[in-house]
Parts: sequence; C-alpha cells; structure tokens
Amino acid sequence: MSFLAPLFLLGALAVALPVIFHLIRRTTREKTPFSSLMFLLPTPPRVTRRSRLENIWLLVLRCLVIVLLALGFGRPFLQKVLPPARPSDAGRKFVVLLDTSASMKRAGVWEDAVAKANAAVRNTSVGDELALFAFDRALRPVITFAEWNEAKPDQRDAFASQRINQLKPTWAATHLGSALTQAAELFDAAGVGQRTNVHRQIVLISDLQEGSRLDGLQGHEWPRGVEVVLQTVKPKSTGNAGLRWLAGTEAESKPGEQADARFRVINTTESKRDQLQLRWLADVTPSTNATPLDIYVPAGQSRIVAAPKPAPSGDARLVLAGDAETFDNSVFVVKSQPARLPILFLGTDVENDATQPLYYLRRAFPPTSRQIVEVLARKPDDPALAGDLFRAQLVVISDGLPDAALDSVKEFARNGRIVLVAMKNAAAAQTVARLLGLGDFTASEVTGNYAILGQIDFQHPLFAPFADPRFSDFTKIHFWKHRRIDAARLSGARVLAKFDDGDPALAQMPVGKGGVVILTSAWQPADSQLALSSKFVPLLHSLLELSANLPAQKAQYFIGDEVPFPPSQQPLTVHKPDGKEVPLVGATKFTDTDQPGIYAVTPAGWRFAVNLAPEESRTSPLPVDQLLALGVPLKQRSIDAGASTVQQQARLQAAELEGQQKLWRWLIVAALVVLMVETWLAGRVTNRARAASQAQA
Amino acid sequence: MPTALNSSPPVSFIDPQVLMTIKNLELRARVVVEGFWHGLHRSPYHGFSVEFTEYRPYSSGDDPRYLDWHLVARTDRYYIKKFEDETNLRCHLLVDNSRSMTYGSRGYSKEAYANTLAATLAYFLSHQGDAVGLLTFDEQIREFLPARNRPGHLRHLMLALEKPAAGSTTDLTAPLKRIVEIVRKRGLMVLISDLLAPVETLEANLAVLTSSGHEVIVFQVFDPAEVEFDFAKASQFYDIESGRELYIEPDVARREYLKKLDAHSAAVRSACQHLGVAHQRLVTSQPLELALFDFLRARMQRGKTIKRATPGRGLG
Repeated sequence: MSFLAPLFLLGALAVALPVIFHLIRRTTREKTPFSSLMFLLPTPPRVTRRSRLENIWLLVLRCLVIVLLALGFGRPFLQKVLPPARPSDAGRKFVVLLDTSASMKRAGVWEDAVAKANAAVRNTSVGDELALFAFDRALRPVITFAEWNEAKPDQRDAFASQRINQLKPTWAATHLGSALTQAAELFDAAGVGQRTNVHRQIVLISDLQEGSRLDGLQGHEWPRGVEVVLQTVKPKSTGNAGLRWLAGTEAESKPGEQADARFRVINTTESKRDQLQLRWLADVTPSTNATPLDIYVPAGQSRIVAAPKPAPSGDARLVLAGDAETFDNSVFVVKSQPARLPILFLGTDVENDATQPLYYLRRAFPPTSRQIVEVLARKPDDPALAGDLFRAQLVVISDGLPDAALDSVKEFARNGRIVLVAMKNAAAAQTVARLLGLGDFTASEVTGNYAILGQIDFQHPLFAPFADPRFSDFTKIHFWKHRRIDAARLSGARVLAKFDDGDPALAQMPVGKGGVVILTSAWQPADSQLALSSKFVPLLHSLLELSANLPAQKAQYFIGDEVPFPPSQQPLTVHKPDGKEVPLVGATKFTDTDQPGIYAVTPAGWRFAVNLAPEESRTSPLPVDQLLALGVPLKQRSIDAGASTVQQQARLQAAELEGQQKLWRWLIVAALVVLMVETWLAGRVTNRARAASQAQA
Repeated sequence: MPTALNSSPPVSFIDPQVLMTIKNLELRARVVVEGFWHGLHRSPYHGFSVEFTEYRPYSSGDDPRYLDWHLVARTDRYYIKKFEDETNLRCHLLVDNSRSMTYGSRGYSKEAYANTLAATLAYFLSHQGDAVGLLTFDEQIREFLPARNRPGHLRHLMLALEKPAAGSTTDLTAPLKRIVEIVRKRGLMVLISDLLAPVETLEANLAVLTSSGHEVIVFQVFDPAEVEFDFAKASQFYDIESGRELYIEPDVARREYLKKLDAHSAAVRSACQHLGVAHQRLVTSQPLELALFDFLRARMQRGKTIKRATPGRGLG
C-alpha cells in the first residue's frame, strides 16, 4: 500500500482528539440550576484515569472514522506489478504522424519536427513497434510496421533517422482529420486491434495550425485503447499573412477586357505587423517594375483588395511583402483563355440568308471570356471535312445529304458526339435513315394549322434548364410546318418533345457512345418561330454541352488538385514550374500538382496556375480543446517526454495506478458507514443513560 | 422547653412537603398555627403571653369577657384586665423575594417556605391581636403593608405574599433603609431571607434596623440541597440570580462549598450576635411549627434579657 498524498496521513494524528474528549469527563450539555454560585469554585476539567475511559466502542469508532478519512485523503493505491506504467516489453505500438504541410516551411519548425520525430524513434524499446507516416493532404508511409520489424533492433534508429532526414515539407494543405483517422485504422490493419491491452499511441508531430482540416474527426469511432500524443512544434516567429486569389470576377467580363483581379489578404491573430505591400512580379517578363500597393490589415482580420495597377498583361505572380513568413506570400495568376468550341454545320446553306437555318445558328453563340464557339459551315463535298469533324464538338445537319459525307458523320456520333438533324424538309429523313442505318425511313410534310410543343421531357438534360415553371412555357413558339415521322421505326429512341397533335418533335437516338437528335422541324422563320424565341440559344447551348461533355477548363488550382484534360489526339506534355516535363499518355487528368506556379501544357497551349491552399496561411495555433471536443483521445502529457526524471515518472505512474484503483472511494464509504454506526451507538448510549437517570430520579 | 422540642420533634408535626400541597396560603398558615395551638394546649407552657400589666376602668364598648369578675365581686367596680402584648406589638415581616429564593430541590421553593412561614407568623400574631405588617423585597421593595390589626388586613397580607417573585438579586440595603424610614415606631422586624449576600453588607444593613430601636429576628432559610450539596453528577451549574455558569463536579466541589457555607453562616451568626439579633437557620425540610417555636422562644429570651436589663419596662 502506497500513498499518493502521504502528507494527508498526518491528519490521522487527529485521532488524539476523540481520545482526549473521551478522557475529559465533561458533560457540558446538562445544566443544573442553583441558588447562588458564591460558594462554588469552577472545577478544572478533570482527566479521568485510563481505567475509567467511558464508552470504549464509541471512542474506537470515532478514531476509526478519523483514520479512514486520513487514509482516504492520502489517496492510497496498491503497488501492482501487473500493469507496469511503461509496458515496454509488452510491445507498444506507435504511429508517428509527421506533418509535412506547407506551414511547416516556417523558420525553425521543420528542424524541430525532425528532432521530435527522431526522439520518438529513440524512445522506443526493443519490443515496441513503430510506423512513421508523413501527412499533408494525404498520408504517406515513411516507415511501415513491416519495415520496422524487418530492421534489426540496433539499426532501427539509424534507419529511421535516415528516412526522416530525407523528408521535406511539401506545399500541400494539412488534412489533419483524415490523417488521424487513417492512422487509427493502421493499428487494426497491423493486427493489433484484437489485443486491446497493447499500448497503442499516435504521436502527432505538427505545428497544429488553425487551417488544418479536421473533417472526418466528428463522430469518428476511435478504436479502444488508442491515444494521441501531441508534440506541437512552434515557429520562431509568430504571425503570418496570407494571400488568396478570388475567382469569379472574370467570368462576367467580355473577352479581351482586362478584369480587375481581387485578392483576399488575411492576417493571423498573433501577427505583430499590419502594414503589408502587394506587388506584381511578372513571371514571363521580368522587366515589369510595378509599384507596390500598401495595404493595412490588422491582426486577426482580412481585407479584400483589388490588385495593384497596372496589371501585367500575361501570366504573373502577385507577391505579398511585410509579414513574418514568406512561404505563402505568392499567388500565381494565369490569364484565363477561352475554350474554343467548333460547331460543324453540314449543308448547302448560303451565308447571310435569313431564310436558312445557318444564318441563325451563326448568331446563337456570342463569344465570352470562357468560350468561343465558332460555327464552321461546310459543304458535304468539302475535302477538309474530315479534319473539321475531328475538331468539332457538335454537327448540325438540316437537309438530305449524300451518303459519302454521312459515313464520317456517323463515325463522329459513334465517338461520343451529338449530331443534330433539324429536318427542314421531308428529304432530311434520308439523312436520318442513313445515320441510323434504317432502310426506308420517310417523313411526310404536315401543313395547315400551326403546331406547338405539347409534351416535353424536362428530365432530359436538354430540357433540364427549362424545368423551372418560369421557363417551361414553350407554347408561344409556333411551328408552322413540321414533318411527321414514324416514331415506331426509331427503336430505342427517346422522344424528348411532342407536338400537340401527337407527332414527335424532338427525339434522341443513341448511336455508339454519342447520338443523333432529330428535330422534325427547323428554326428558320418559314418553319417555326423557334429561332426568334428566347428558348433557342439555351437549347443549343444545352445541346453543345451534351455533345462536348466537358466541364469548363479552369485556370486556377490548389496544390494536390487534379487537373482534368479533354481527350486529345496528340500526346500532351505538362511543363511544371521547376522545369520538369511530365508526359500525359492516354490520361485525362494531371495529378502531379505538387508545387505552386504556372503549369503549361503543350502542344495544346493551355496554362494553369497552381497555388497554395489558402487555409495553409492560417497559422494560428489550433486550440487543443477543439481536438478534444471532436473526440480525439488526447493524452495530455507524453510519457516519452525526455526531460521527465525518474521521480516524475514514478509519480506519474503512482497517479495512474491510484486513478485506476480509486481506493479512496471505498475508504470514504467505510468512513460513512462507521459514522452511521457511531451515531446509532451514541444514540443508544444516551438513551440508556437517560433511562437510567430517570429511573434513579 | 422549646430546646427539648427542637431536639426531638413530636410526630404530630406536619411534614412541609405535605403542607406545601395546600395551595391556599392562608389555609396553610391556619393549619400550622392551629396544629401548633393544638399541641400547645397539651403543653404546660401556654400561659406566657397573658402577661398582666394593669387594670383599666371599664367603659362601655369594652369586651365584657375581660372584666375582672373577682374585682367586681370584691369592690363592685368594673375593671378591665389589660394584657401587655395585645396592643403595642407592631411586627413587620420582611420577606426576601429575590430569585435565589425560588430555588428548591424538594418540590417546593425556599420562597414558598418563607411565604408560608411569614403567613403563619402573621396569622399567629394577628390572632393574638398584634399588628402585623409586610414588606416583600428583592433588590428593592416590592410590596409594603403597614402593621395593622384590622379585619381584612390579614387577607391583604396573604394576597401580597402570594404574588410571584420577580426580582433578581438579594440586596438588603435599599429595602432595609426604606423600612427604617417608613416605620418610625419601634417594633419587631422579622427578616426571612437566605442571606446569600456578602456578610459585611449584611451586618451594616442589620445595624440600620437595630440602631433604629427595632427588635430583629432573622430567619435564614436554606434548601436541604444548599446545606448538604448532595448532587451526584457533574454538570454545568448556573446561578439563578445572575445566570452565570460554572462547570462543577460535586464530588470535588462539595468540601470547599460546605466549608465556605459554614464560614458564611458563622459570620452571619456572629454578626447577628454582635448586633443582638436573634438568628435562626431554617432548612425547608423542617416542619414550620418548629420555626414558630423558635420565634416564640426568641421572643421570650429577648423579653427576659430586656426585662433583666431594664426592669419595670414592658416588652418593646
């Protein structure tokens, strides 16, 4: 039996009190009236002789209460050998998580982190197992359990140290939540999950910045017995300011017009500097001598500022100066380039003839800064047709065409594109038959009263933008003429819209990966009012999107983002900012965005900028309470704290043992029970004495 | 002689405990006095109070019982026999009603005993034809009835005695000074008190009475518990008068207490002796008749000494 607070045992000396009280025979409660005390002298408290101790049992109980209380306050515990405080030989399992995010580039942080990682490795004993993982956006193994176990125990330190020293902080953001949850699962993967008595510890070496992403921690079911030890590294300087490019301002501007780029400048709460400068650094032309823009951002606040003028015409870098840390002070901006989307019009229409469909098609796509749609009008016998078909995103046909031209168009549809056949006459049915491989497919002209669209499939992506009741009114579009086709012949067709007389108006037939969309009328004024209606342009855009099937090419990415590419016939190569070239063979994504800068894709000529995640600039320390609130099983003090002396460890161990056993509770309960017995006994003794005295009287 | 009576009290005396069960004070006094007379008739010493002094010519309205028929037969003149006690004894009963008198360990207090004693004396004297007055006091005068012998006076006196005590301390100084001022005619002063006060002041106070020519009889009343201090258990004793508390172990304190009490009693007695004051110590367990005997004996002794000292002069 040992005691955590042995000084409290001195309280047991209070046992003397009841003994003295019992020895002093002084019944202070009884009072006797007397006529006059003039002949009486006060009797000094007389101590009875030992032989005259009264109520021995009461005395014993009272002493017992005091002794029990003193013992309870002394926090006793049994020195057990079974669960040793350092179960070194039982084989502890450690997963060391080393933060390699961009914020670790701050001065003094990385060296400290490496030292802590090496210390964690050194603190293991022979039976322990250790795995070391680096994490930023993702978890990367540095040393696995298998590698650790393969290494000889005496070489593990050197081996681990070599691996650790090879590490460098990256530019990526900190995804702390996913790193922690994955690390916890590593124990299970390593087969430790079943043995709950194994000491399992995650040692997190990080700067614990506020911008760490903690998603995944909320509600995460931590395996039992896993604890997380925080080893926070602190930078030499405090405070940081960060820069973020705000997207969305360019989209509205017209092509060729230079938009005002806007930036958000944030300053952390610890920051001691609030006078900052923004300056353009031209990457391409180093001669730009832009004047810096002074901005004032108080600590803990953020400001949105317009970029200093004049803005460089090409790709450029905006640099923030004046704060303590420089790792996050650059933002690369690429002048966005509009996507070129060619539409091939196949037919014999004359340019600028307002009675022909081509006239209206040309005017349906005004250029924007995002995309430039060019309509290429080709005659069916044009020799450049094959090359144009390769570039085209959509093919529009309105007339009957010779079979030779249609074969390549059919191939175009098979490759996943859409061919729109707007039947401006019944002869166009031949085109449809040829494209769909139908033998004799005919159409008959319907004239007379005009028709309107009666039944529209708003579920289809083509009509989805009109699904809202505000836009779903197509009844104002009058179709003077349309062609009746036999829908039953079109097996597998999806009729997207019907006229009010029940004839199909718009139908889609799948062909290969793409399809043919048949409009049984056309949009020139002779056939219908479609070209003049507000629905025309959005409908064609929907069609183009359906065919091109491509998200708009962005020009801004963050470190680690995947950059998608449209399929290309030519082999593409990505030129990274550090000069490396990464060939893209068959891939539609580029994932190696591991450094900030401007990436160029050749020979397509695309450029995109990759910047630091803005969260990384929020370098204020993350409150540990927040981790606790998210249920992370934090251990407040690391047992591996190298500075702790043997005495401190012994005390910690004692405290832990005491905390497990909690013997004091039983002692207090026992004291209460004894007190109750004492009360009962005292009551009985008093009653008996009273009865005796009454009997005497 | 009374001394003999004192040493072996006859069984016919009424136990005070029984007597105190009678609620009415007057009835109580009558029981004592009549019992006393009853015993007195059988005693050979009953004639002392009919002391003849002189003859007086009969005038109309006089009680014919007191005519000396022998003289009428001899001289044919009507003479009334005059007894000296009958007229000029003015007795004042000074009864201490301080709070210490409320103490009693036998079921009744010293005050009840003292009041009964006063009532008994008043009844006795009144029936003997003497004028009786009453003064009850604590640290000051509570009730005062001048000495009279009138029908109804005794009743007033009894009522005054029955009033509950409200005082606190025993202080004789003020009441005695006052009575000396009020009662100009010399007479008998019967002081009934426990005299639990410092002896020095007591002597001075009694001297005030005696120097005014009054005959003084002191009855010092004690409770048996006060005399014997026979408490068994140690406890917190508190003073009824002052409320002071003391932790007392009777076994330890008894010897010292008795010693001090005896010393005090001796001092009181010597002071009384010095002043020529008759002092009687009464314990409330004693029958009241004995006190009456003591009273009469003191009176006789006094009478004798005075007569011896100044022959030819009647009793004061």
